[in-house]
Parts: sequence; structure tokens; C-alpha cells
Amino acid sequence: MKNFKKILLLILVTSVFNRCTDHVDYEAIEGYQITSEIYFQQESDYDAALVGTYDVLQWLFFNIQLGAIASEITLCGGESATDYIGIQQIDDMTHYPENNVLRQIWQFLYEGVNRANYMEENKANIDFEGKEAMYGEVYFLRAYYYFELVKFFGDVPLFTEARLTAGQAGTLTRTPKEEVYAQIELDLQNAIASLPNSQSQVGRVNKYTAYSLLGKVLLYQDKFTEAASALDNVIGVYSLVSDYGSQFLRFGENGPESVFEIQYSNQSNWYDWGCTHCSEGNYAIIMNGPRGWSGPEYAQGWSFNVPTEEFYNSFEEGDSRRDATVLDIEAFAAATGASYTEGYDHTGYFNNKYIPRAGESGGQTELNYLTNFRIIRYSDVLLMAAEAYNRGGIDDGIAQEFLNQVRRRAFGGDDNDISASGSALTNAIWEERKFELSLEGHRFFDLVRTGQASSLIPGFVEGKHEVFPIPQQEVDISGLTQNAGY
Amino acid sequence: MRKSILNFIIAFVAFCTGLQAQSLSGSVTDSEDGEPLVGVNIVVQGQNQGAVSDFDGNFSISNFESGSTLVFSYVGYKTLTLKISSTDEISDGISVSMVKDLSELDEVIVIGYGSQKLSDISGAVSTVNAEAIEASSAVRVEDALQGQASGINIISSGSPGSKPTVLIRGITSYAGNDPLVIIDGISATIDDLNSLNPNDVKSVNVLKDAALASIYGVKGGSGVIVITTKSGERNSETKFTLSTSIGSQEVVKTIDVLNASEYAAILNEASVNAGEGIVFPNISDFGVGTNWQDEVLVDAPIVNHSITASGGSENTSYYVSAGYTGQDGVVAGGEKSFFNRTNFTTNINTDLSEKTKLLINTNYSNIKGKSLAENGITSVLSNALNFDPTVSPFENGSFGISETITQEIVNPLAQIDNTYNENKVDKIQGKIELQHRLMENLNITSRFGYTYVNIYDKGFIPFQFYGTGHNQTNANPDLTPIVAIDSEGNITSTHNRVFEGNTNFFNYTYELYGNYDFSIKENHNFQTVAGFSIGEGKGSNISATNEDVPFNSWDYADVSAATGNATQQTSGSWQYVNRNLSYFGRVLYDYNQKYYASFTGRVDGSTSFGKNNKFGFFPSASLGWVVSKEDFFDEMPVLNYLKFRASYGTLGNDNINPQFSLISTFPSYVFNGTITPGSSLGSIPNDDVSWENQVQMNVGVDTRIFNDKVSLSLDYFKKTVDDLLFSPNLSLYLGVPSYPTTNIGSTQSTGLDATISLNTSLGDLSISSDVNFTTAENEVISINNGDKYIWGAGYGIPYRNIVRFEEGFSPGYFFGYVTDGIFQTQDEVNNHATQNGAVPGDIRFVDVNADGIVDDNDRTQIGDPFPDFTIGWNLNLDYKSFDLSVFTYASVGNDIYRAYERNLNYTNRFASTLARWTGAGTSFDEPRVTFVDSNNNSRASDRYIEDGSYLRIKNVQLGYSFPDSLVDVWGFDEVRAYVQIKNALTLTDYSGYDPEISVGGVLNTGIDYGTYPQPRIWSMGVNIKF
Repeated sequence: MKNFKKILLLILVTSVFNRCTDHVDYEAIEGYQITSEIYFQQESDYDAALVGTYDVLQWLFFNIQLGAIASEITLCGGESATDYIGIQQIDDMTHYPENNVLRQIWQFLYEGVNRANYMEENKANIDFEGKEAMYGEVYFLRAYYYFELVKFFGDVPLFTEARLTAGQAGTLTRTPKEEVYAQIELDLQNAIASLPNSQSQVGRVNKYTAYSLLGKVLLYQDKFTEAASALDNVIGVYSLVSDYGSQFLRFGENGPESVFEIQYSNQSNWYDWGCTHCSEGNYAIIMNGPRGWSGPEYAQGWSFNVPTEEFYNSFEEGDSRRDATVLDIEAFAAATGASYTEGYDHTGYFNNKYIPRAGESGGQTELNYLTNFRIIRYSDVLLMAAEAYNRGGIDDGIAQEFLNQVRRRAFGGDDNDISASGSALTNAIWEERKFELSLEGHRFFDLVRTGQASSLIPGFVEGKHEVFPIPQQEVDISGLTQNAGY
Repeated sequence: MRKSILNFIIAFVAFCTGLQAQSLSGSVTDSEDGEPLVGVNIVVQGQNQGAVSDFDGNFSISNFESGSTLVFSYVGYKTLTLKISSTDEISDGISVSMVKDLSELDEVIVIGYGSQKLSDISGAVSTVNAEAIEASSAVRVEDALQGQASGINIISSGSPGSKPTVLIRGITSYAGNDPLVIIDGISATIDDLNSLNPNDVKSVNVLKDAALASIYGVKGGSGVIVITTKSGERNSETKFTLSTSIGSQEVVKTIDVLNASEYAAILNEASVNAGEGIVFPNISDFGVGTNWQDEVLVDAPIVNHSITASGGSENTSYYVSAGYTGQDGVVAGGEKSFFNRTNFTTNINTDLSEKTKLLINTNYSNIKGKSLAENGITSVLSNALNFDPTVSPFENGSFGISETITQEIVNPLAQIDNTYNENKVDKIQGKIELQHRLMENLNITSRFGYTYVNIYDKGFIPFQFYGTGHNQTNANPDLTPIVAIDSEGNITSTHNRVFEGNTNFFNYTYELYGNYDFSIKENHNFQTVAGFSIGEGKGSNISATNEDVPFNSWDYADVSAATGNATQQTSGSWQYVNRNLSYFGRVLYDYNQKYYASFTGRVDGSTSFGKNNKFGFFPSASLGWVVSKEDFFDEMPVLNYLKFRASYGTLGNDNINPQFSLISTFPSYVFNGTITPGSSLGSIPNDDVSWENQVQMNVGVDTRIFNDKVSLSLDYFKKTVDDLLFSPNLSLYLGVPSYPTTNIGSTQSTGLDATISLNTSLGDLSISSDVNFTTAENEVISINNGDKYIWGAGYGIPYRNIVRFEEGFSPGYFFGYVTDGIFQTQDEVNNHATQNGAVPGDIRFVDVNADGIVDDNDRTQIGDPFPDFTIGWNLNLDYKSFDLSVFTYASVGNDIYRAYERNLNYTNRFASTLARWTGAGTSFDEPRVTFVDSNNNSRASDRYIEDGSYLRIKNVQLGYSFPDSLVDVWGFDEVRAYVQIKNALTLTDYSGYDPEISVGGVLNTGIDYGTYPQPRIWSMGVNIKF
């Protein structure tokens, strides 16, 4: 009996020890997790990775908001002067390198770049039909992310071969923006070469989207001739909708005037406040709504990004764009019996293009607005082309024609046509961009690009505020140089 | 009990028939091994009569009168008194077993894979016995340890059943500081203590230094709490104990906020200061308005019942208990906030053969609870503090609403009414253990320990209305959904929502080890142990939500009953598994109980560790010297005992997860208006990641003086943790994947633990008292994450960071602006560094870096939430049948950050606002009130820091043990009744509810989000043994 027990014990011990050799090993499959080693082995992996590369577009709500708030046409607003300090400081031009909004913009844009690069890194793994066209979308997206980076920050680190690894933290330096622009142009040229004229799915970019962005990128570098020829490819491909305001409503999305929109949906039923950008909805929308709203059509919001009275009053008589762009909340409330509470810097006006509209969200209402961002509209293409033709000294007549197409739609006839030329025409085009494209993320960057920022934006310091500061963390950790003046 | 009554009847009959003198014989044995005791002195109380036990332990007394009491005394054993009334006993003879008298230092304590006499230990340990735990009447065992053991710091919350912050010897790690818990050899966590009935606990030992904790290796870095539960005694009759107590909890202190008319006046002024008109034309209409704190704070009951049975035959002993604890919340009461626990425990120990013992311990517990929002700006208490006092609790049959507060803050009564949730936990924890004596002094233990937990959660978010346009409103005033129709005629609607989740955990550990004790040449004594441990932990969860609960009713709140369509339903799941494998060994050596040495080591392997670092080794050693046993020591009369101890060794912390280069399938985008799933790289691995490595040094001294009446234990320690685990802040241009946890920091803690005990008696009064002193100083030595700091908790809307874990500072310190009074004049504003938006009446913030601008870079250390030291003082007095115990606890030097103010224009304010600045010279610390705070006076600053030092009489208990004569009549062995006041009195300067603030984590300690106060509890109870 005694021996039996000892033998039993011995067997037990031995068996346990035998098992032990791999007892503390762990493979990702035990947690049903997919590792990169087994990825990019089939076409569907590439499809998914491309969707992931598009995904970051949805995170860029602050890019659009700041295009207006940093300019003279809207104020930060919100609950109080300290509601969202990062944005308030930008409105006041008192921002500095420690700014969580700018930090987020920087990091998100680079996530977009890295996702595109991750596809580049794995491009050669397998071949399948339509791969080149797919990579046209990848290059377009990378160009878009880098263009936003250059617009916001000037010189930025440039890398295109692969996704960065942890070991590469702190190893990069800022690349002169001319070189970054060259890469953006190259990516867009490659995209144009491989993208189809049209896509079967709404929301995907095509050849003309790439031409339009290329034209814009060239215009930002004052390369007018090249810009004009790039944009020429787009003229006539799209058309202006007759009712200006309709394209900013839910059912005007992705219409005949739409060249590029960031797509959102209210179907994700997102509830997690811990990750506001993880929703498929547009988080900027709730910010722009009237506070404590009780009334028809609109829904309550946080009263940010409020248009100024000066801006509202600067629209010409008969310009149909005024009421489509700016909501006169006092008039609306008086007419409908609606009520609301006033936020900080209350102007009486709200952003009518990107505003919470009743019934357009889902889940946690604040996080799931379906409203798309109109990134490039055909009227923008026309105005960019007009500017290129005018400032490049190519043909003011064509420039006038493009400009007046936009104005005729706005005023419902040709009574308000512009016949100026030369620098007067240039100014007219710039002024037209303000009314046609306001609150869509262009204004601040247009003012900087055209040298008007210091004269129009209170507190704007020339030689400093043309670009935003590099996030402090990137200076501290990565050793990047700071922009002048910060 | 029946037998006791019988005894009583017989005794009564005997009494009535006159005292009979007979001869009484019996035998005396040792209670543990049953060996006869030779030479026991036996005296008949009050008479000049007695006997001495012979070589076989037998004795005999002639002329014994029934009803007399015998007193048995023997050196090294507890004196026993026995009343003999039964004629059976007198005629049949009695057998008496005596219990060894283990004075505290001779106590044998469990130290992990073995036990050791306390006097033989050369490491650092604190012990707490069952009496102290019972006296505390705590809901959780950890709460009972507060101040009872030096070196351990417990910060509790008043929320029913909630987990306290437990720190053994300071804060060394960012990743996690929960100590390891060992219950009867089974490895567990602090979270598991929610299911243990404190009445079942026999002793708690806290292993503090490396010499003791390193037998638990990588899990011992935050200290080890070793809990031993009660067991039965062999050869003893079944003994029952019945304990019951009922109590009432009350909140003693409320926070001073503005009443309705003060509120109206202040708001008028704030509006005018912002250039707007007055808000309330008739201030006088308001009176004091509603005190929301009084509306939500209630007196709530707490009850505790338990019954146990224990005993044993020659071969088996058992302990069986059943317990029920019910605690209702003082916030809103038991309908929406409670913690109810039912326990059943069975501990059986039986001999399978002469050499083999089987131990089976099983503890089943069932916990049910409901909770309200706590510790945040949307908590019930935050609403009570911030809501408009001019609103009535009820208006026209529904909850009063505010027209002016449209965000977050709501009528707290409405919030309570709209909160629906439940939580049910079933847990079985236990072990099956075989102990086999292979040969003389060699014991083999084979133990399988397990924990199975099932947690079911449900929550319901009904339609609720807090005013039109309020951001918490999701329904019309009549609680119908808000329906919207867009320009195309599409209808959308708000929904109510139900959530259900089910979580399972199963952990097991199998351990096999041998203990071999031997002596060489008589005086060289060895106790050795060697073995291995293999274990696995698994967890999984599945959850679902749906919308459209019928009738907007909690009764129908279930995913199965909700009528939402496919797109409204969501589901989720997660799972994990971890495994470990360890080998351990220990040698304890002493020479003649004068010189001690120990060597301990453990090799740990874990699935959590990186591929290149699968196994770690954690060795330790200790030395001890009992100076008082030296020959030269006799010359010291006062000092009875003196021992020096020293230890050095390494421990670990393994709070990491397996790391891989993982593809995340979370990203998605919208094509054709449809959400399309995508992918991206989600995380980057670090194959070299390993445990946190801790080196701890301990030196200590134990003495006893004045005939052992006073004992003193003093320990100094120094802990250094290298390889601290962090997710580094890498370059932002890497994007957003989870960066790998990396060993990139170090911390150091030093401190002193001291215990002084006094045991003496003055006539019938016996006094025992001890004072525990605990201090630890912590510093983060390095963090190589790039930024040199990591943010901890923050608060409020907009969110403000406040806690930092930063190189060169104490872990978890408060970080913010320093205030320097109020700007009295525009000149003062102009003469100060540039401070955007400041006008007279605003707070002047210090330009700490003296660069001429007040900005984020001027933030600095403004407080430390951890105490400089804590003291626990126990006083136990016994006088005849009365016993009194008083426990006082003090925490000194802990700062509190007040974070419960919402600071909306129309939310209520702290009463100190009344002393605001209204013109030059009117106030030097309270800024002006204004609707437009362009200076951001509410930024995170030392304005919100208060000294949270306190002294609290935690527990006062007065008990009365009924005299034997009466107890016998009732048929019981022992009856004790008591009255108790917990948290009787708190002395503090802190303005909030409670200076003791815990929300469970190290890096959010000391932030008062409207903390759940610890109530004062009045209770009374009875303990009966029979």
C-alpha cells in the first residue's frame, strides 16, 4: 500500500512536470486574437485594411471646426469661457504647444498616415485583381492626411515605406514642407494613374477626387498653372445643385455637387463617452447645436462654433447662402415658439451647415450624428480653378465664368455677376470663397494662404500663427523643433 | 442544547434535594494531542480541598459537593474552571482537556506553505486575531484590519460592501498595489474578500517583508495577507455559536452649500458682474428652499447574523457556518442601494489513515446588490450638492425640475427614482487537501484550491425627464418617447434601454510540497519546505443590450422582453486566460532558539511575461538574534526580552498581459450609407517585458519589558522597485496603437512600522492596549517613458487632470496651479505676470516658472493624498462581566482635493462663496462671482486642496457577559450582549462629508467627488455559545 501511494505520487509529479514545459506559453489564438503574422494573406484582409485607412477621416472633426473657429467668422462659444480651453485659446489666438485639441489632430493624422503605410508595407505580399486601383485610394488618403498635417503644422516628419515601429519613436525629424508637398503630389499623381473614373460604392474616392485635391494642393503652393490644368479635368464632371442649402441636409449628401465627403452614419448606436471618435457618427455636430433646445427641426447641443453678427451681416442682399449657412436663432425661436438657453459668447447665430437636426442621431445622441463633412464640393473646384486662372495670369475670362457660375446659383440669376479682373477679381474670388464655403473648414487656411490672416483675425501674429505649434509632447519626446514664435 | 437543559434540570433537582457529597474522579489531557498531563493542580473553588493528577493524568477528589467549581491549573496551559453539577459526571468521572497557553509570542502563525512560532520569525509580520476582527463588526475583512496591524494602510469608503484601498508598506508600483490574499492556502485577491464572512476568520497575518513574502515570489511584491479560517477541534462536543447584531447607519455631517435665497442673491450678483441683468427679481420669496442633501441622505439599517457549529470526533473535526450580512446605503436607502451577502462555510478535516489527513474547505457565498451613481459629477451626492435649491422636490405630483440647469446636474430624487440595476454574485471558493506523513517529520501536502465566480448584471435606463432640453432628458414630460420627423418625413424616436451581462471566472491552483523538520546535535533546528505550484485563471463575459422595454418598467426590463429590432440590439463578449508555474523552497534554521536564519526562494513562470523572459527567480534571506537568551543578558532587570531581526530579498509584481502584434477589427467606415468593417494594427508587442522587480530590506527589533507587560516591535524597511511597468509615451507620430508595456521606471519606499502592546491587570480590571504606527515615504525615482510622468485621475466637466505619477515626486501627488490671493485692483493685475482674462476680484495664480506668463507650465505640486503617518490605538478593558473596547484611528498629513463642484452658472455653490470678493479689500481668498469666468478661477489649483488629517473613534463596544448562573439556567454556555458605535466621532478640519476617501485605486485616492461618507453606525448584538 505504501509503495503504491509513492508510485502514484511519482506518476502525478512526472505527469505534471511533463505538461509544465509549455504551461506558461501563450498564443494569441487562445484569446481569439488575430496577429499581424497571419494577416495580409488574402484579398479581404486588404479590403479591411483599406476601410481602416478611410476610418481615420471620421476622427478629423476638429480639423473642420478649427477651420472656422480659428478664423474671424465664428467664435468658440460653449458653456463658458473655460468649457473647452483648447479651442477657446485657438479662437483667441492665445494657443500654445500644450493643447489637447492640436495634439489629437496631430496624432490622428499620423495614425492615418501609418495605416496607409501599413498597406504599403504589405503591398507585395500577394497579388489580386484591382490591387493597383485599391492602392490609388490608399495614396489619395495618405496625401489627404499629409496635406492636413502641412496645413496645420508646416514642416512635419515624412515617412512612406512602412508603419513605424515602437523603436522608431524619437528617431525622426521634421521634413521641409516643400518635400512633404512633393510627396503629396506624387501620391496624388499615382492615385490619378490608378483610380477609376467612378466607384461602385458611395464614399470611395475616384480619379476626379484625386484631381480636385491635387488642384487644391497646388493652389496652396501658388502653382497656379499646374493647379489650373489639374482642376480642368474636373470641370463639367460634377454640377452645382440648384438649391444651395439642400446639399447640407441629410438627403443632399453625396449629391451631384459632392466631390469628396467624409461619410458618417447614425447606425453604430455608440454609447462610449470614453472614445468619442470611435463612433461612426460625427462628433462635431452636437458641439454646434443650440443649448437647452426645445423646438422643431433642430436638437439641443453645446453652442460651440457660433457665427459672428458681422459675418451674418456681411452677406449681400439676396444671397441665398446666408440662411442656409447661418441660423438666426432668435428669429427662428420667435417664429416657431422654440426655446433655448444662451451659451458663452452668445451671438444669436448658429452654424446651420453642421448642426444637430432632430432625428438624425442614434444610440448616445451626442455621439452619433449622421451628418457628413463636405470636404470638396464642385463649387470649391470652380472657385479654385477661377483663382488659378486669375492669379496664374492664364485667363481672367475663364476665371470670371467659373466664379459667376457659383454666384448665379447663390443669387438665382446673373444680376450679381462679377466682371472685375486682375487683383480685383482675385479679391472677389477670395471673398466668394468666404460666403460659398464658410464653416466647411476652409476659412482660416484660406486667410493664411492668401496673406489676409493678420489683417482679419484679431490677435493673429504674423510669422507665428500661420501654423499651429507642434504638440509639446512631440517636442519633449521626439525632439522635434518647435514652430517659430511658440 | 437539549443536553444542557437536562443538565440544568438535574442540577436543579440536586439543588432542591440538598447538596450531596460524593467522590469525584477524572483525567486531564492535552487538548491537542490527547496526551495525559502529569501534575495538574486541581482545586475546589472556595474550599481547602484539591488534588494533583498522577502519571496517567488521573485524579480523584473525595467529599465533592455537586454544584461546586473546579479550578485546573498547569504551567504553560490556560487555567480552566469547571462547574460540576451533573450526577452522571460525578458518578462516571470526568475527562478534562486543557489548552496550551500560547502567549502572543509563542503563537504559531501560518506563513505560507508552513507555519512558524511568532517568536521564531526573523522577517516582518503583523497579526490580527479573531477577537479584533469580530469586535470591528466589519462587512469586509480588510476593513477590520485598519489600524490593527502596523505597516498596512486601509482607506475605506462608506458605500455598501465596497472594496477599500489596501496598501502594505506604501506605494511602489503604478500598475497595481493590491496585496496577494491567501485564504487557507488558496490564492485569492482583495476583490475576493467581498465574499468572506469576517466571523469565519480565525486569524489574519500580514507578511510584509521579502523574507516572508518571497515564498510567493512574483505575486508578493505588494505584500501578502494570509487568512486562516476557523476549524473545529478534535474530541470535542459540538459547540454552537449564534451571533446577531442590528444597527442603524446615519450620516453625521453635511456640506454647507447656499440655501435658496443665498443662491438667488449670489446668482443675481454673478449675472450683473457679467454685464447681464438680474436673474431673480424677488430674492425674499425663496426662503431656505430645498436642502437636497437632507432629501437624499437617510438612516439605513445594517444587520449581521451568523450561526456556526464546530466540534470533532477522534478522527474528524468540522466547522460549519451560515451567515447573512445586509447593509443598506445611507444615500437613498435600501430600495436602490444595498449589499446583501449570504455565506455557507464548511471546513472538514478527517484522518483517512493514521498517516493521511484530508481537508476539505468550501465557502459558498451569494451577494446581491444595487447601486447608485457614485464618485463623479453625475453621482447622487454631486447632484444633491449642485442642484438648484429654489426647486421643490416635487411639483404637481412629479419631480421638480430646473429650467436653468440643462446639463448633467438633475434633481437627485428623480435620479434615484430613475436608477435601476442589480448585481448578483455566486461564488464558490475552497480546497481539497491531502496531508500525508511520509516518515517521521516529513509531511507531504497536495492541495487543489479553486474559485468559481458567476456575476450577473442588469441595468435599465428608462425614459426620464429632467426638463425640456436637459441633456439627461430622453423623454417628454409624460415619459413618452421624443419623436422627431425630418424633412423627408422619416420618423425617429428616443428609446429606453436594458443591459444584461454575465461574467464567469474560474481559477485553480494545484500545489504539491513537502515539509521536513529536523534537528542536528539537538540545538541546530531546521524547518524546510520545497514544492511546486501550477495554476490557471480564466475569465469570460457575454453581454447584450436592447431598446424598447415594454411599459418603460423595471418589471419588464430584460433583453428578452425588449422589442427593439436587430439594429437596436447589441452584444459583446471577452475572455482571458493566464497560467503560471512556480517552484519554491525555504529553509528556516535556528540554533537553540537564540540565533535564527532563513533562506527562501521562488521561481515563477507566467503566460503574462514576454517570450524572452518566461521565468523569474525571487530569493530572500533573514537573520535573527535573541539577545535576551545570551548569558550576559541577565544583568538587565527591566528588559525581559530582546530580539534583533534583519532581512533582504526580492519580490515581484506581474500586472501585465501577454503582448502581440495584433490586428484590431474595430475600425470601420461608411460606404453606401452602410457601416463597413475594417482593420488596423491594434497593438505592438514587447517580447522582453518582464515582472517588476522589487528589492526589500527590513530591520526590526522586538522587546518585552516590565515582566512582559509591555512589548514593542519596531521595523524599518526600504523597498526599491526596478523595472516598473509602463506603457511609454512614445512619439505621437506612431499613431494610436496600444504601445507595449515596458519595464522603464523605478520607485523607492522607506518607512517605519511600530507596535507597542500593554497587557496588565489591576485587581479585577484587566487592561490590554496596543498602538500601531505606520509610516511610509514613497518616491518615484525614474520614469523613462519620455515625459517623466503619467497622469492619474482627474475630475469635472471640462475634465481637469489633477493626479500625477512623476519622476522625483511622491506617487499620485496633486498637480495644479498655486493661488496667491485675489487681485484687489487693476494695478495688481497689471503688475502681475500676464494672466489672460484676469480682472480685479479674480484669483491671482503664481507664475511659478517666472517667465512672465501664467500658463500650464506654472502648474506644480500642490498636495499629497497619502498620510505622513497613521496610528491605530486599541484599548480593551475587562472588568468582571463587562468588557469595553475602543478603537481610535488617526491619519495625519493626507491632503484632499475637493472636486464635487460643477461650476455651471446655475448650479449651487459652496457656502464659502458668501465671503466672496465684492470690491477692493473685501476678500483675499474667495474670488468674485460671475457668469463669465474669463480668468478660469475654477482651474485645478490649491484652492481646492484641504488638509484631510483626521482622528476618528472608529469603534466603541461595550459588552456584558451574563453570569454563569443565569446562562446555565437558559441552557447556554456563554451569553454576551453588546452595544456598539462605529465611527463615533471624527475630528478633522476637512469641510466635506468624510476625510477618508477611497474609490479603490492608488492614483485616484484623495479626490473628493462627493465621496460616499462612512456612516456612524449604532448597533447592538448578542453572541451566544451553547
